[in-house]
This record gives sequence, structure tokens and C-alpha cells, in this order.
Amino acid sequence: MKKLTTKIWVLMCSLLVATIAFMYILSNFIYEELYVSDMEQSMIEVGEKLQTMYRGGKVDDALIARIEDFNAYSHFQIFAVRNPRELSACVPFDIDYDTLIGPNEREQLLKGQTVTKVGYEKRFDRPIISVILPFTEQNRLEGIIYLYYPLTKISELANTEVGLLIGGAALFSLCVAFFIAQGLRRIMRPLHEVQQAAEIMSEGNYEARVNVASKDEVGQLAEAFNQMAQAIQQEDEQQKTFLATVSHELRTPISYVKGYSEAIGQNYMTEEEQREAIQLITREASRMERLTNELLQLARTSQEQEKLELYPIVLAETVREVTAILHATAQLKQIDISETLNEELIVLGDEEKLKQILINILENAIRYSPAESNVQITTSIVEHFAMISIKDTGIGIPKEDLSHITERFYRVNKARSRSDGGSGLGLSIVEQLIKQHKGQLTIESEVGKGTCVNVKIPLMEE
Amino acid sequence: MKYKIVCIFTFVLLLVGCTGERFQGINTHQSFVASMNILEPSLTFYDRQGELIANWAFEKAYTGAVLIQQDRVLLYGHQLTEADIYELSSGKKLATIETGIGTTNAYYAVDEQMIFLTNSRSNSLMRYNLYGEPDGELALRNYPMSMIAHEGLLYVVNYKDTVLSVVSIEDLSLQAEWPIEKSSHGFAIVEDTLLIGGHGEGMHSNETVKVLDLASGKELSTMTMPLMPIGFAQKEDELAVISHGSNMLYVTEPTGKPKWQLEVGANPFAVAYFNSHIIVAGYDDNKIYFIQHGHIDETISVDKGPFQLLVRGDS
Repeated sequence: MKKLTTKIWVLMCSLLVATIAFMYILSNFIYEELYVSDMEQSMIEVGEKLQTMYRGGKVDDALIARIEDFNAYSHFQIFAVRNPRELSACVPFDIDYDTLIGPNEREQLLKGQTVTKVGYEKRFDRPIISVILPFTEQNRLEGIIYLYYPLTKISELANTEVGLLIGGAALFSLCVAFFIAQGLRRIMRPLHEVQQAAEIMSEGNYEARVNVASKDEVGQLAEAFNQMAQAIQQEDEQQKTFLATVSHELRTPISYVKGYSEAIGQNYMTEEEQREAIQLITREASRMERLTNELLQLARTSQEQEKLELYPIVLAETVREVTAILHATAQLKQIDISETLNEELIVLGDEEKLKQILINILENAIRYSPAESNVQITTSIVEHFAMISIKDTGIGIPKEDLSHITERFYRVNKARSRSDGGSGLGLSIVEQLIKQHKGQLTIESEVGKGTCVNVKIPLMEE
Repeated sequence: MKYKIVCIFTFVLLLVGCTGERFQGINTHQSFVASMNILEPSLTFYDRQGELIANWAFEKAYTGAVLIQQDRVLLYGHQLTEADIYELSSGKKLATIETGIGTTNAYYAVDEQMIFLTNSRSNSLMRYNLYGEPDGELALRNYPMSMIAHEGLLYVVNYKDTVLSVVSIEDLSLQAEWPIEKSSHGFAIVEDTLLIGGHGEGMHSNETVKVLDLASGKELSTMTMPLMPIGFAQKEDELAVISHGSNMLYVTEPTGKPKWQLEVGANPFAVAYFNSHIIVAGYDDNKIYFIQHGHIDETISVDKGPFQLLVRGDS
């Protein structure tokens, strides 16, 4: 009884048996209620008509014969009785024989009432429906009309074929049970497959999928399972790629540092070369430091998802502070940063994080813009958000890369050249931070023409 | 003053309470016919004009009664363990006889002044004196019931047997056993013959009254009186028989020669002479009939189930 299929099967079979039993009881009930009462009614009608044959006085043989003649035309048995012994006339005395009617019935009949009985009658040695009508005159019970019909129960009716009936019911139940089992197996097959796929997945094989054939709830479950499996597989692959990238990114500067420091240690270099090597080592060490810092920041941002406390910030101020920080970097490439700022915008945010967002985006803009170009920062109101647009005239991002641009270590330039200096984590961090601010990030870009990064941060509600 | 009245009233109530059940008394010189009704047990007394004298309604399920001498009545019940003797003039209970369940009939032998009870449980005949004290017992056959006394002998019909027992009243000894039909009931003694009625056996309804020789018990002849003649009454020159199966009253001369007959009542079990009338009690129609010369003079409704008639003539 561990399997759900077995439980459902047992339940359905029990219901089937219960239904058959209920139908049996119901049919018996209907038989009793309708058939018997209908029979009683028609017997009373016939009896009342026959009662009119009695003209008073003694019940004579002719009347009895006429009533018995009616038997030939009726489907129930009819006879008339005038023997007072049969009619319990001696009742104050001890009666040691079987009378046709008892003392209570006699009393009823004496009042002119009709007596109806359903049940076993010893006289006829079988259950019958009987109706008794009196011939009365001056309070004398001169005789009775006795109508009866054998009360054949449905079970008795089928007495000869009772084996067939039970056998048929059993066979029918078996067939239905078999079909229920088959049907259940068919319905539950996707569930089994889901279970098996889950087992395969738990062993680390994320390629397991369920074959979805139906569109019912089980089918939908299988489909949801497939989506989940795909998501897990993707996440797994991303994780692997991330680890590979991290190790790759770290290995390169480490091998530089290692190689040059060994060379310095073994005095293979001239002083000039050594100075250059030390500069190189310092640069690579800074690179590593930056990379680890960014990784740490990314990890922290993921952890601190819910903890950020937001407070009102004057956006124009923050933007100006950021451009001031990056002014020197921009100057190196002679890039001009122009600002069109709405001074009245107050957003809900964390100042440090907001600056981090803007720095990362602006750094990218400066990094990928040609010398002597222009980067524009515009702030405006869009619905309940403050929109910060940072637009450059740089190299742009190809369309196919746009949707992946915020993934960790994703770089449009797959050669992973460090000439452009990025770690591939900047936009990932930006995306996380914007999420913490309950904002939105959209990037529009066209290759060769430039990129526009739009950041929406919720305005402070007044 | 008020306190005194309350005290006296309470005392009177106590006295009345102590006297027990008491029915309306019947004047000692009042002749009556009384109907013993058994479905709603009561004894109703009527005078010769059919006027109600008294109605004694009982709590106990009495099924029969018999007059003892002039002023006493004995009441018994088949399902009762005791029989009670009441005084008619005072309506008071005089004595109680422990009978045990199964009393089928009671008979008062006038000449010997003995009370006889038959019992279907013990199948015995029990003798009591006038005060209700037991005075002997005799085992009889199956279901002794009908009784009649004549010249020192008591004739007892064993209802569920085919034997009539002849018992000596004096020493309560069995004198003879005569063959009779099963379910025989009702007696009359006419000259030196014994008339016995009956219901018949099984589904067969008896249609005759058997005339037996009073000395030998030999069946002399039969009188056809259908159906189920069981009630007898007689006076000097006349015999009345009631057949409950056909509601027929047959009136004959003592020789058995029919005088007249009348269909009367519904399922009548009892018939009695009361002065110039023949009284018939209809069990099913709950009526008693005053009949004279083949005509119903009066019909009186009584309580349910009139089964016996007791008659006290003019004293």
C-alpha cells in the first residue's frame, strides 16, 4: 500500500463495490416501495369492486364461486371465506388451529376496514402481499375476500440464476478493476518518469528530462520539472564557467608575478629590466587585488540582498561627485563628461552603492569610448522613478551579447584581452545593486555608434 | 372550626381509602341480568326493562363471572392468579381465592353449595366452600372448562381433549369418562339426557348439539343447530341454544322439537332466560338483546366484548 497508484486503485475498487451494493439495496428499496405499494393499491381496487357483489345476509356458495371465478381473469389469487372458524370467531376461547385472520385483523374487519399485510404467511408457506376486505352486515363479519400475490424478492426472483448474478458481478468488478489499474498506470506514468528523472538528477546528472505526453496536471508537473532541470543545468554550467574564469583570471597575473619574481631572485635581469619587472608585478598585483575585491563585493551583494537600508538622496549631487571622481580618468583619454541633471530629484537609495553603480557604468563608458569623445549623463523622471542615462559614443555591444552582458565574467571581447582592463564583473555588480534598490537596468546599444545605459531608481514618495 | 372540618374530611377520606375498591351496590330484591364484558372488563347490570342498574368497571382482566347464592359474584381471569368474590348488595370485595394462572371457568353447585374452578395450566378441578376456602382438587384431562352439576355429579368437558369427566361432587372422585368431540363447549341437562355443544375441530365448524344418555354417556341423538352451538339456557318447558358461527338463536321444546329460531347479534356467545325474555349477548357488536316470542324487544349497547350473562331472578 506504499504506492499512490495502489491506494487510488484500492479506493476506486472499494467505491465500485460500494456502488454495486448500494444499487442492490436501492433496487430492493424501490421494489418494496413502488412495486409492493402499487400491487397493494391495485389489489385494494379489485377487492373493493368485488365487495360490491355482496348484497347483505349470509355469504352463499354462489357469491364465493363468483369471486373465485374472478381468479381466471386476475394475476393475483382471490378467494372468499365465510367459515367463522377461519375468521377467528371463536377468539375468546383458546384457539389451537391456524386461522386465516387473527383477532386484531378481525377487529379491523368488523369496523369495515381493509387489512393489508406484507410478509411470510404460514398458510401459503411463502411471503405474500395480502389484502383482506370484509363482508359485514349489522356488525356481523359474514365473510371476507382474501387477495394475495406471492412477494417474490428480487434475490428470490434470481434465485436460480443467483450464481450467475454473483459471478457476473464479480467478473464485472474484476474487469473494471483491471481497467482502472491500466488507466491509473497510464495516468501515473509521467509521475514515475518525473521520479526517475529526479533520482538521476540527484546523482549529479542534470541532463535528465521527462517525456511530456499529456497536458493534464501531471503533464504540467513534468513540464515544470523539465524547466527546473534546465534551470539547474544552466546554473550548474554557469557555476562551472564562473569557476573556470575566476581561476583563469587569477592564474595569469599569478604566473606573471611568479615568473618575474623568480627572474629577479636569480638575478637574470638588468637593473632596468628589474625595475620594469617590478612595475609589472605591481600592476598585476593591483589587478588581482581589484579582481578579488570585485569578487568579494559580488558575493557580499548577493548575500546582502535583503539587508540594504534606503534613505533619501539628492541624485544630482551624487552624480556630480561620481563625475568628479572619474574626471581624472576621463582626462587621460580626453573624454568630456557632460551632465544634464534635474536638480530636484530625490531618490531612495544607499549613497555608497548608488555611487558604485554610477562609477561602474561610467568607467565602462570611458573604457570603451574612443579618445576625445563625449559621455553624456542625463537624469529625468519616468513615472515613479528617477532615470539616469549614461550615453557614450563608444564601440557598442553586439545584439547577441546584450542579453548576456550582465552575466559574471561575460565579455563581448572573448579574447579576454586585458588591454581594455575590465574584469567582466562590473555590470554583474551593477545589476545586483540596482536590484537591491528595487530599480531597473536597461541597456541599448548599437555597434560602432555607442551605448546608452538607463538606470531607474525609485523616487522618494512625497 | 375550619381546622375541625379539614380533620374530619381527612379522616373520612382515610376511612374510605381503607375500605378498598367498592362498586355500586345492588338491591337484594332487584332482579337483573348482568353482562360480563371481557374486552374492556366490566359487569353491567340491567333490570327487566333493560334499564341500567349498575356498571362495575374492573381494573383486573376478568374473563368470567358466576353468581353464588343470591348476593355474591365470583370473578376470575384466565391470566389472573386470583379470583375475587364480591357482595352484590354492598359492592364490596368479600374474599380473594388464590387460583394461579389459567382459570378457565367457575361453577356454583347450588344444591351442594360448592364453588368449582377449572384450570388449564394444571388441568385440574378445584373445589372451594362458600367462603372461598380450598376444599380439594382433582386432576382432569386437557383443558377442563364447561361444567354442569346434576344429582351429586359434576360433568366437566375437557375442551382440548376428547373426554368428558364425570366427578362426584361429594368426594371429588372421578366417576366416569365419556368420549366427546374436541372443542366441546356448553351444557344443558334435559330430563335424563345431557346436551353438549361445541365449536368443532380445526377448520370444521360443528353444526350439532349431541344428546348423551345421562347415565351412560352414550350418544342418543343429535340436534342440528348450525353453526357452533355453544350457549345453552333452559326453563321448565323450553330450551334456548345460541350458535355463534351463524348468529342463530334456536328455541326448542325440551324434547328438541324446534319452536322458533332467530338470527340475532354478531357472534353471540351467551344466552339466558330472564323472566319472560331470552337475553342474547353479541360479542362482536357489543350489544345485548331482549327477545320475546321470536322478536327482539330491546337492544342495549354494552361495553366491549359481552361474553357471559348472569341472571338473578325474582326472589
